[in-house]
Formats: sequence, structure tokens, C-alpha cells
Amino acid sequence: MLSRIANSLLWMGRYLERAQHTARYVNVHYFSALDAPNLSKKEYVLDSISCMTGLSYEYDEDILNLEDQNLIYKITLDETNPVSIKSFINNARENARGARDILSSELWESINKFYHSANAYQGKTLTEEEILSFTEMVVHQCAIVNGYIDHSLLHDETWSLIQLGIHTEAAGQLTRMLIAKVRDIEKTEQLKLGKAMETYQCIAMLKSAEGYDMSRVHYKSVPNLKKALEFLILNKDFPRSIIFNLEAVNNCLQKISLVKGEEKGSVEFFAGKLQASYSYLTIEEIQDQILPFLEKTLDNLYKLGSLVDQKIS
Amino acid sequence: MKDSIQLNGNSIFSSYDSEKNLYDEVFDQTGKVKKYYQKVLSLFNKLTLQDLKKLNEFARASFFNQGVTFAVYSDNLKGVERIFPFDLFPRIIPLKEWENLEKGIIQRNRAINMFLYDIYHDRKVLKDKIVPSELIFSSNYYLKEMIGFTPPGKVYTHISGTDLIKHKDGEYYVLEDNLRCPSGVSYVLSNREAMKRTLSKVFSSYNIKPVHDYPEQLLSMIQSVAPEGVDNPTCVVLTPGMYNSAYYEHSFLAQSMGIQLVEGRDLYVDKNFVYMKTLHGAKRVDVIYRRVDDDFIDPLCFKADSVLGIPGLMGCYREGNVTLINAPGTGAVDDKAVYTYIPDIIKYYLSEEPILKNVHTYRCELEDDLKYVMENMENLVVKPVDESGGYGIFMGHKSTAEQRKEFQDRIKSNPRKYIAQPIMSLSVHSTFIEESEFFEPRHIDLRSFCLMGKNKDFVLKGGLSRVALKKGSLIVNSSQGGGSKDTWVLEG
Repeated sequence: MLSRIANSLLWMGRYLERAQHTARYVNVHYFSALDAPNLSKKEYVLDSISCMTGLSYEYDEDILNLEDQNLIYKITLDETNPVSIKSFINNARENARGARDILSSELWESINKFYHSANAYQGKTLTEEEILSFTEMVVHQCAIVNGYIDHSLLHDETWSLIQLGIHTEAAGQLTRMLIAKVRDIEKTEQLKLGKAMETYQCIAMLKSAEGYDMSRVHYKSVPNLKKALEFLILNKDFPRSIIFNLEAVNNCLQKISLVKGEEKGSVEFFAGKLQASYSYLTIEEIQDQILPFLEKTLDNLYKLGSLVDQKIS
Repeated sequence: MKDSIQLNGNSIFSSYDSEKNLYDEVFDQTGKVKKYYQKVLSLFNKLTLQDLKKLNEFARASFFNQGVTFAVYSDNLKGVERIFPFDLFPRIIPLKEWENLEKGIIQRNRAINMFLYDIYHDRKVLKDKIVPSELIFSSNYYLKEMIGFTPPGKVYTHISGTDLIKHKDGEYYVLEDNLRCPSGVSYVLSNREAMKRTLSKVFSSYNIKPVHDYPEQLLSMIQSVAPEGVDNPTCVVLTPGMYNSAYYEHSFLAQSMGIQLVEGRDLYVDKNFVYMKTLHGAKRVDVIYRRVDDDFIDPLCFKADSVLGIPGLMGCYREGNVTLINAPGTGAVDDKAVYTYIPDIIKYYLSEEPILKNVHTYRCELEDDLKYVMENMENLVVKPVDESGGYGIFMGHKSTAEQRKEFQDRIKSNPRKYIAQPIMSLSVHSTFIEESEFFEPRHIDLRSFCLMGKNKDFVLKGGLSRVALKKGSLIVNSSQGGGSKDTWVLEG
């Protein structure tokens, strides 16, 4: 396979996953704010969304002055914003187009349809119904595209590269989401909002990773913060957990590597070591220092991402 | 089943008023439907306008979702994506008529190939004064790099797209020969697909020659011209990239042949061999079906600032280490002034009478012809010899005195650059027109696709019928508002 194509496949996977995570986060947070315990300020919700998507005051002072509607626009449809959902979809499709000849027609068509569905949203402001339908559409279309990735491609190099992109990104996005949520919870703690607020935040956290239902099935109880974090970071059976994605990254790397056995300093070595260190971790070890732990995780994932890029180009 | 379809009442053909002076593909002069169109027409007559609009919409969505689009360059960096308009009413060519066309296309392209070999070797045809030397040597597309070099199998024009029209006398005429990466074949295949999806009923009642074997034929042609001694050649399609207007076609062809689609930056030259950069190191490339123009393929030889090409490619080619499809330098014949000599060229090399007619052409560089052109501007089409896509064309019958004057000056300043032809009345074909919601006659042409490999000729049965959607317009190019039709060659 051409290196350029390998790169396109990887990034197609990454952008698809990025679009999906952002859409789900916006959806869950914007709408859960509607029936949040009454002291939850809407600003927190928008603040949380912009933190998760990487739009932050530190980089872009304009964010401070944006009306709610404009902020939502900036995060969802604004094509001039490189971290908007729309930009992610455009990039996913461009990468797929560059590798068009080695994808199945079914997969390509599903990505192209996804792109055109997103183009149907043209307004500069979104009504609440539109925010709901747009973010749901993104999540839904991503599920369709993922279905075609899994069921219409050979599970060979092509598939492994797309999956590598998806899982690298999924681990990163989940970590960012957790950081945003843990910060939200710390802020609300300072305001002494009580237990109801913590539960509310935990539910939002789990829903943002489509893990609410399964965590209840798993723990047979209403989630608390410790359980929610354990589930999302360390549960090996939950497909969106950090450890699950790290394992998947390793499997994909094995499939695309010609050299068996890991050389020190190689991406395979780094990914293997990272997975191993999470495999034997317990929530008790990290729960008191959760924010530094997550930030360290994010650093490691960035490093993993750049090693993958180096390997491919 | 009725013998003929009446063109009145409430049918969707009711505003159809066939023009007396033109050749109509569907109806004869008395307004009767030609025999081979009857089944299609009776089907259309059973449809309501709503049905038809729905089918039209369905076909359009199918193209859009498949990404069968071309980019129109605009202020927007990405360009605007357009569907090449597709008309539901197929064009039908009876087998007998087609067989003659096919023979003519092969004859013409064989002679062109021999002519190319000759002008880059002994130049007998020039010495014998069949074609004036200046005409060839003054062409920008005549490449000195090709002199004395023989491509595998002596094939230069592996893929050619001969454009044909039917005049009011009912005869086919060749309008031009496209010998430099002609495009459009992917539309032939996707039009057929769209047709099968939308009007499946008609298909079962006709015996239509298939077109789906094109990618297979193309691949076997490509493999047949691999460099000497390479058993299992690695073949690739070279595209200028995703933002090229024909990118869909490039990726479609690569995908349907199962070979790699590459860009210039994926390839490099080492010791006169071409390699591509893969995930697992370098891989040698043996045949390149390039969809990049001569000027851009090798910055060391041609345009130095080209980023689309591969530095050193021509060296590998001349060493015989890689085959280029089509050969560089074919553009010297793909020139509207050289076109006028093709009948003589056919006679010279093949000692045969040309099967396909040429449109009579006046060469402005000849004194008598120039004089005629200057005096008859309003009855002529004047074309620059070296442009494509319908650009720079002067249409006499639609011009103002001022425009004629301006164009006369332009011709006088560079007569070699222009040829003129009588205005040919392209045949018309019923076409669904959205604005009026009726089938109306529109002008059409036909681009055929011919493959030539080592001991192998193939003409795609059918081709691309392009239709000028604007009323009265004779320009069918997609860049100028043209559309296309599925084209059926009928058995029996």
C-alpha cells in the first residue's frame, strides 16, 4: 500500500471518530442541561463543551463573547473552525476520497452520503431541534460508516489502518471528555451542589461514551464517580473504554507491521508498554489523583499518535 | 403494442415539435417512431410526469451519493461539485450501423498510430508530401524526446476517444480525434448502472450489448504493453490528484481494474527505474496509465515547475523500463489542422478508403482557405487547433458583425492556430427537459472509446452520447452545460 494512502486511511478513521465523539458530547450536554438540577448553570454546560472540543479561552478570547447559539454554531457547523464537527466530516470525506480506489463502493457511498447529509444544514444559527437532529445524524451516520468498515472491507492492512485511526482517536477523545467532566465535577463541588449534581454529572459522563446502560448492567446500581471512571478507563469489555482502545491499537499495529517483536523506541514498543501499564491498574490507585492521571494519559496518547504518523509516512 | 406513438394528447411528448431540417434519431420525417425506439417510447408514454420526475430524482441521487461528480472551479477552494446531467431517454444504435462505425474507428486509429510512428522515425509521410512538415514541426505537442524511440508494440495511442456526429444526411462524421488521455468512459459505465436501476423493465425487453467489460479490456491492454521481460507487471493509474475535475473517473478506473491509483508524489525514479513509496518500502512500477498531460509528467524534461510529475520519468521511459499510456507526443496528431489530413493518412498507410467521413475543413494557413473563411464567417464554425473542452470556439450563425470582425483579426494574426468548418447540424434526440417538463429534441454527439494494445484492438460498444441541454445549442461539453445519455448498441 502507498504510504500516502495509508496516511489517508488512518486520518479518515481519526476524523470519523472525532466527529462522532464531539457530536455525542454536544448532544448529551446541551440537552441534559435542560433538566439539570436547578443550580446547574447553563454556562457550565457550554463551558464544558468548548473545553472538550479544544476551543478554550486560553487560545481564543472571542469565545468569551459568543452567545450560546454562536458557540454551538462554531462547534458544529462552522467550516472556518478546524475543530468543528463539520470540518471533521469534510476531512474524513476528503481522506476517503483520496483512498477511494481501495475502499468498497458501499463504504465510500456511506461516507459520501454522510457528507451530503451534513451539507444539508446550512443555517448560521441552529434551533434546538436542529442541534438535536444534527448531532443525532452524525452519531447515526458514523455507526453506519463503521458498519461498512467492518463488514465490507477485507480485514487486512486497509481495515487495520482505519481501525488504528479510530482507536487511537477514541482513546484520546474519551480522555479529553473525562478531563472535561472531572473539571466540571470539581467546579460544582466548590459550589456545594451536593450528591444529586454528582450523579447528574456521572450520568452525563457515561452517556457521552454511550456507556450509561451498560454500566448499570455491569454494576447493577446507579453509578457513582468511582464506578463511572473505572468503567470508562479500565473495563476491558466495554468498547469505548481507554483500555479496550489501547488493546485494539496494539492489535492493529501487529497487523500492519512486517517486523515481529517490538524494537525499543518503536511505536509497537510504546503501544505495548502503554497497554501493559493499564492492564494491571486498579481504580483505587488512580482515583485520588485522577486529573493528573488523565493528563498524563493524554500526553501518552499524543505521543502514540505522533509515533503512528512517523511509522506511516 | 402500437405501430407508432402519436405525438399529441396529454403525453409527455406533446410539445415535441420535430425540426424539419435536422436528423432526428428517434422519429422519422413523417413523425413516426423508428422501430427500435418503439418499446422505450411506449414505456415513457405510460409514465406520468410525476413518475418521470421521481425517476429523474432517483437517478440524480444515485449519482450524487456515488460521488459521480465533477468539480467546477470557483472561488470556493474545494470547487463546487456538480452531477454530469444524465438523461433517462437512451440513445439506440442498431448493430449494423454500429459495426460499420466500429470498423471505421479501428481503421482510423490504426492509421493514426502508424502515422505517429512515422513522424517520430523515418518521416516518409512528410517526405512524400502527404502532410506538410511545417504542420507537424510547428505543433507544440510534437516532442523531440520521442524521436527515434519505439514504444512497446509500436503503440502510441492506447486509448483514443473519437468524437462523432450524425449530420442531416444521416451519415456519421468524425468531429475530432482525442488522443491525449480522453475522458468520459466512467460516465458510460455509471450511466448504464443508473439506467439499469431506474428503468429495469426496458432492459429485459431489449438485447443490449454490455459495456461492463471495459475495465477488464483496459487492464489486459495495459498489461499487453508492459516492458519487455516483465511477466507480472505492476500497473498504476496516475492522477493529478483529488482536485482534478476528472478525479472520480481516475479512481473509478483504478478501482474497477483493481490497480493502484497514484499521484506524482507517490512515485520516484532511481537508476532509471520507477518506484512507488509504500508502507513496506519501494515497489517497482512497470506501466503507468497517466491522466496527466505531457507537459506535466516530468519536470526535468518539460515544465520545470510541475509538481504533478515524476522527475526523471522520461529517462526511464526511453530506456524501456516503464511504459506510459498514452505515449507522450501523441498530441501532434490530436490537432484540428492535422485532422484534415486523416483521410489521406488512412489511404497512405493502409491503402484503404476511409470508412468514416471527415467534416470538410478549411485551414486558415492556406491562402485560398483563409480567403473563403474571411468571406463566409457567418456560415462557419471557427476553432483554435489546440484547445479542448469547447473553449475559444466561434459560431458564425450566432455572431454579430462586430464579433465577426474581431475574430477575423484574431485569425489573421495567427492563421496556423485556426481551422473552420461548415456548421454541421448535429442530429437531435428526444431529451427530458426539466424546465418545460417535456421531452424535447436536443443536439447530440457520440464519443467512442477505442483501445489498442500489442496485437489487440477493442472498441467499447456504445460510448458516451453527449447532449446539449440548451435549446438550439451545438456545444455538448460538460463544462458548457452538456449532459449525457446511456447509449445502447442493439443486437438484431
